[in-house]
Parts: sequence; structure tokens; C-alpha cells
Amino acid sequence: MLRFLGLRLARALLTLVLVVTFAFVVLRLSGDPALLILSADAPPEAVAAFRQAWGLNDPIWQQYLRYFAAIFRGDLGQSMRDGRPAVELVAERIPATLALTLPALLMKLGIGIPAGIYAALHRNSFADRAVMLLAVAGFTVPSFVLGLVLVLVFAVQLGWLPSGGQENWRHAVLPVLTLGIGGAAVLARFTRSAMLEVLGQPYMRTALAKGVPWARAVRRHGLPNAAIPTVTIVGFMVGSLLAGAVVVESVFSWPGVGRLLVVAVANRDLAVVQCILLLVATTMVSANLVVDLLYGVLDPRLRAAPREATA
Amino acid sequence: MSDVSFDAAAAVSAPRTRRRARLPVPVVLALGWLALMLLVAVAADLLSPFPYTALDLRNRLSPPVGMGGAWLHALGTDELGRDVLSRLITSIRMSLLIAFGATAISAVLGVTLGFLAAHFRGLVEQAVLALVDFQAAMPFLILALAVLAFFGNSLPLFICLLGLNGWERYARIARGLAVSAGSQGYAAAVKGLGASPWRVYGRHVLPNIASTLIVSMTLAFPEIILLESGLSFLGLGVQPPMTSLGNMVGYGREYLTRAPWILLAPSSVIVLTTLSVSLVGDWLRDRLDPTLR
Repeated sequence: MLRFLGLRLARALLTLVLVVTFAFVVLRLSGDPALLILSADAPPEAVAAFRQAWGLNDPIWQQYLRYFAAIFRGDLGQSMRDGRPAVELVAERIPATLALTLPALLMKLGIGIPAGIYAALHRNSFADRAVMLLAVAGFTVPSFVLGLVLVLVFAVQLGWLPSGGQENWRHAVLPVLTLGIGGAAVLARFTRSAMLEVLGQPYMRTALAKGVPWARAVRRHGLPNAAIPTVTIVGFMVGSLLAGAVVVESVFSWPGVGRLLVVAVANRDLAVVQCILLLVATTMVSANLVVDLLYGVLDPRLRAAPREATA
Repeated sequence: MSDVSFDAAAAVSAPRTRRRARLPVPVVLALGWLALMLLVAVAADLLSPFPYTALDLRNRLSPPVGMGGAWLHALGTDELGRDVLSRLITSIRMSLLIAFGATAISAVLGVTLGFLAAHFRGLVEQAVLALVDFQAAMPFLILALAVLAFFGNSLPLFICLLGLNGWERYARIARGLAVSAGSQGYAAAVKGLGASPWRVYGRHVLPNIASTLIVSMTLAFPEIILLESGLSFLGLGVQPPMTSLGNMVGYGREYLTRAPWILLAPSSVIVLTTLSVSLVGDWLRDRLDPTLR
């Protein structure tokens, strides 16, 4: 178990280092930030001063090491636009994003998992077909289309809810629905196939053959086994709590992390983009780590055999 | 993420009895729609009634037929009087081009890396697996956003970038299957006959895993379309004056109340196309390769 933990932890750290490197290389080498911020016809002295101030004249590896060192100090640089620390800018957007993604996550779990299990247990019934149809529809309708259609119906035509902005809970209804419907569809589809697979396994047949009632066999043998693949995708959903609403926030002009990212990318605000990348990577990697630990809890076989045996 | 999910998925439900049934109706409809889209994409120049950038300032925001418009602009026009139908046709071509290009790139990249990992094992394999983990651990939209805006945006770059989406799945599949092929007789046999690794992988292993790969490509295709349209919708994908489906939706959003048709036409095409590819993909998977389920 310890070896399993250590391996997973090392992998998580490696992923983070890769993300930092990726961010640094891509964002720093792709163009001259000084010219972009100051516009191309800025006087050369101003450009030189800017480069000096931001340390853009040093060799790239020095900038890289400095960047790494700064991250360990929790300093992710300042927004090149308004000079405020990037961490601060990002942190103040987090509550707004979570206000959308947390209720949406509950909605996904609350609808997706039961719907998937029900569909699997009543395979080929009318309900199963209906769930699958809705699930496919939910998967294939992009969030911005779904969001805009909801706006068209509930804000423009019916006038029940506001179409954008963030003042009270009514403003959150449509974005949460948009996020939740799509996620619930994915989860329902996934849960159904995980469950179907488990129901076809020999141990289910054995349990039934030795006289275990159907409901008990499903509860004791079916659900725990189906939980293993489902946990993976739920972990991914938890990991993208901060980053999963980029498009939806833009549709509803919701001032969250996603909107900040889009604006920062459009403005080429290096520090802010790096900060968000790192934040997203950290949440994602932590969520995956938790998922790996949960595997250990759910499936004792995995504790002994970390990678090679399963690969 | 982890291999566990993939392997759990690979431990298949019992092979179902194969009926030589006719094609299910939804699949026929989906194939028909896809054929139509391909035709539109190929013959875009012949089909579009106007050049997609042509302005018709006397008919600005004219509604489509059925909402009080004239047949001159069957799907209406936008704020600048550009014909929505012509723009739609050009957009379909652009979006399909990008989706095909990106899918091909990610498949080639993934399969190559997967084979390299399977062939050399050791350090190479560990490096590929670390990259796979990295790719699977990051939401691709975020990576794409970062790369796009910082490298600026051009069409070839955009296609290559989208080609980085999902390669890790092909790599995983190719590596897994190549490793297991290595322990089967046929790969060892041709190797014993003196075939080069190129020949072994290209002529013998690849054909044997092709059906699995084709199914994964069909399943990944809608994802690319959604990604492309999402990025273009945000204004960070295909740049004007070029147009793509997501681009049109992004533009039409400004006229949601006054001229919803600008947005509804490309939205329906996106939804119908991704839906059709998914239906065909699911069906193919059930027919060709139930192990992916």
C-alpha cells in the first residue's frame, strides 16, 4: 500500500512539474510579451525598460528557475495589465465559479448516477431507451448551444430568468442547468455501461445461483464493482470544478475563473494564464490522487499491483 | 487518469449473439446526414448561392423562409446582409476539414508513440506513459486556450493543436495491443523471418488493431468538432474573415433576440453532426469491436 501511495504521489508531482514547464515554455517562448503589451510602435526605451522590469532579458533557463522558485514561495507574478498579483486576481474569482460548478456537480451526481443504474437494471426497457436517448443528446449538444437555447426560451421568450450577469441566485439558475444537464448525460451513459458490464460478470451469476435475492446481489456485488470505473469519471468532474465552466461562464457573462482565463488569454496576460493553468492542474492532479486512493479502498487487488499488472 | 478504467472497460461483457440484421433506422439516418455533410463540404463552392463574405446591405437581418423571409436568402441574412446559407456551407467545410485533420493527426501521433513505447519498453515507455498521464490529467480546453492565444492563431497551428487532443487514448490502445500482439505468434513469426520493426508494426500489427483504432477515431471525432466550435465560439479558434460553425454561433449570439436564425442554423448542424457521428460510432463499436465498450 505504501509503495502504491508513493508511486502515485511521485506521478502526481511529475505531472505538476510538467504542467509548470509546459506553461513556462509555451507562454514565454511564443512571442515577445513586451511588444504585445506596449503595442508594436512603442518607443524602444519603453520596451527596454519593460523588459528590464519583468526580467525578460535574462537567459531563458534563469527565468525558468526563477519562476520555479517563485512558485514555491507562492508568488505567481503580477498581472501585466493592472499590476496586481495574479494569485489575488484568480482567487477572488474562485467563489463565483464554485457557485456554479458545485450545484452543477450535485445535479450531475443526483441525476446521472441513479438514471444510469436504473437504465442498466432495466435494460432495453422504455425507460432505458429514453435515458440513453437523452444521454446521447446531452453529450452531443455543446454547452454553448444548450446555454443559448435556454436563454432564448427562458430569458427571451418567457422572461422568467435573467440571461446573464451575477446579482442573485436567479442569475445562477440557467448556467447551473447548462452545466448540470450535459454532465448528467455523460455520467448516466458511463454509469449505465459500467453497471451493464458488472451485471454480466460470473460473480453476479454465482451470487444469484446460490440464492441471493436480486436486489441484494445488485447492492452487495453489483454496485461496488460498478463504482470503480464511475469513480474515475466523477474524479475528473471534481477535478474540473474550477476549469469546467469556461464556455458556460462566457455565455452567461459570469465573472468566474473561466471568464478571467478567456479575457487573460485574449490580452495575453502571461501571469494570470500561468496561474490559472497551475491552479487547474493542481486541482485536477489532487482529484486524481484521491481517486487512486479510493481505488485502493474499493478494490483491494489494486493495492498490491500498481501499474504493470493492470497495463 | 488511470489504466484501471480502461482495463475495466476492456474486460468485456459477454460477446453478444451477432444477428445479421439490417441497419437500425437511426444509423441509416445518421449515415444519410453525414453523407450530406460530406457532399456539402466537398461541393461547397458549387452549392453556396453567394460568396460567403458578400454583403447585401439592402437585406440586412432578413429572416429565413418560414419566418417571413424570401427565397433569395433561404436561411436569412445577418447584420451585414451576408447570406446565412452560404456562410453555413462554408462553415461546414471548414469545421469538417479541421475535424478530419485533427483526428488524423492525433491518431498518427498516438499510434506512433504507443508503438514506440511497446517496442522499446524501458525508459521510452515510462516517458510516453508520463506524457499520457499529463495529457489525461489536464482539461484539454485549458491547455488549448493557453497555447492558442500565446502562439497567436493560424489555421494550420489550430488544426495541429486540436490534433493534440486525445492522442493519449490512441497511444494507450496502440501500446496495449502491440504489447499483447508481441506475445502472439504472428508478430514473433515475422520477426523471426527477419522483418524490420517497421514492417512488423506497419504491415502486421497495425492491420490487426485497425478496427479498434477506427472505432476510437469515430468516437473521438465529435469531441473534436465540439472543441473546435467551442474555441471558435469564444473567439479564440477560427478567425474572421474565415468562418466555422462555432464562429457563426459566437457571432449570432449578439443577435439572439433580434435574429435568432443566425445562431440556430449552425447550432443545429453541430448537434446533428455530432449526434450522427456518435450514433455511427456506437454502432460500429458494437459491430466491430465490443472490447471498447
